[in-house]
Amino acid sequence: MKDDYLWDGSGEPDPEVQKLENLLGRYRHDQPAPAFDQLSEERPAPRWGFASFRFSFQIAAVAAVLLIGVAAFLIIRARLASNAGPAWEIARIEGAPRVGWHSLSANSETAKLKVGQTLVTDNTSRASITLDETGRIEVDAASRLRVVASRPGHERLSLERGTIHATIWAPPGEFVVDTPSAVAVDLGCVYTLHVDDSGAGLLRTTMGWVGFKLNGRESFIPAGAVCATRPKIGPGTPYLEDAPTSFRDALTKFDFAKITPQERNVLLGILLVDARKEDALTLWHLLSRVSDTDRPGVYDRLAALAPPPKDVTREGVLRLDQKMLDSWWNSLGYGDVYLWHMYERTWSEK
Amino acid sequence: MAQPTTDTSAEDALVNAARAGDRSAFGLLYDRYARMVHGILLCRVPPREVDDLVQEVFLLALRKLDSLRDISRFGAWLSTITRNRANDYFRRSDSLDRAMDPEAEELAESRTNDHVVEQEAAMTLAVLRTLPETYREPLTLRLVEGMTGPEIAMRIGLTHGSVRVNLHRGMQMLREKLAERVQGNLPEKTLGAE
Repeated sequence: MKDDYLWDGSGEPDPEVQKLENLLGRYRHDQPAPAFDQLSEERPAPRWGFASFRFSFQIAAVAAVLLIGVAAFLIIRARLASNAGPAWEIARIEGAPRVGWHSLSANSETAKLKVGQTLVTDNTSRASITLDETGRIEVDAASRLRVVASRPGHERLSLERGTIHATIWAPPGEFVVDTPSAVAVDLGCVYTLHVDDSGAGLLRTTMGWVGFKLNGRESFIPAGAVCATRPKIGPGTPYLEDAPTSFRDALTKFDFAKITPQERNVLLGILLVDARKEDALTLWHLLSRVSDTDRPGVYDRLAALAPPPKDVTREGVLRLDQKMLDSWWNSLGYGDVYLWHMYERTWSEK
Repeated sequence: MAQPTTDTSAEDALVNAARAGDRSAFGLLYDRYARMVHGILLCRVPPREVDDLVQEVFLLALRKLDSLRDISRFGAWLSTITRNRANDYFRRSDSLDRAMDPEAEELAESRTNDHVVEQEAAMTLAVLRTLPETYREPLTLRLVEGMTGPEIAMRIGLTHGSVRVNLHRGMQMLREKLAERVQGNLPEKTLGAE
């Protein structure tokens, strides 16, 4: 095959690829592994070293029982009193955001946001919340954001109303935001999430990608894409921000409007005709959202815009073979869908 | 079909051992994945920052290894951590302007170097970094890090089909962009010189 050399270095060498290899090879990784062994020695696990003490066995046992009892009491009391777990650090940006009765009005003032507490901003206030291991979230005016769960490896917030801008550096799947109409799962990204008073939402991804799900309906929103949600319906079909207006309008009606089957056919026709190469993202989602009758048309258009990998067949896609759909998604280059499957079962929908 | 091929049992054993606290096993994982991490970072952040960030990514992965639920997806997990760290680099260093214009940065770095080949390499890397993320990453791993397509698929956790398609399309786009350069404002000899 023509690209064999590019693929695995076999076959007749492609001079252009060889030249690029030689040219760019100077940037290749050449650092030896850090001394991970020493790292473990620098941070030894705590050892109590009972053997070095000359206490009798009975005294040691009594002391241990007392110690465990006191520790358990302190832990339970701390949990009851302060909702143990990592707390988000709140910083005021403007106005007087509040948590319960406490308002932050001074620039230097900070506070903690713990499980069960809600950060409220009025029309003139904004705040940010940060958790070192997870990320930073800016909370716009007129928002309500509650901490649902907070423990190492799992942070869950609920955006009841308003807008947040999230920059997440935790590993994928560890940061989840509930909204009244969908659950947003970070898969490594920067995004903005808005929820209006009716509970409808809009998610816009700037970097990486986000998974959006409700009632088994799921959407993947990569950088540059937007996805709307509606209560009781869930996430709509994601689209690129620069998609033509006719395309976006048709998609909104297709996803959420109460329409007849005939109107639905017309809208699908508009979507297929107006779709650009970049809109493969949208068509891929439509594959599993249209009827069996409409699916061949979506397949053909998507295949024309973004040919499927070799392991994906028309027949397989028409029967919604998950592996083939996943493979086609991965070939679009927005992210590894296996990450989503890995983490989607670790949190529950509302 | 061509699914990612991997010596799963050996790799899973390494990940398991590393999770159990075996730092030498983690060192072996570093040996296997350092080029992937390096390449993913190189197509996003300034080259001078990459080596330090590689170390940071592995230290973060070491701390977070317990959160990896499916050990067979170590590569995909690590690559996402790496992309996140690259994103975080710009957030922390407040360098969004540079992120928007990686080419300017590459060329600025190359100005200090008199060697034509160095300049050409910097310019080529800069052009590579302007490709869409979909193509930029596998192409960097192939052309810079010297990984083969099957190796990229195995490490990142993608199918052979998707990596092959992205390498092919990315190479096409890179050719076009480099050709535009030749016809554009840079002297032709800096592009054609070996």
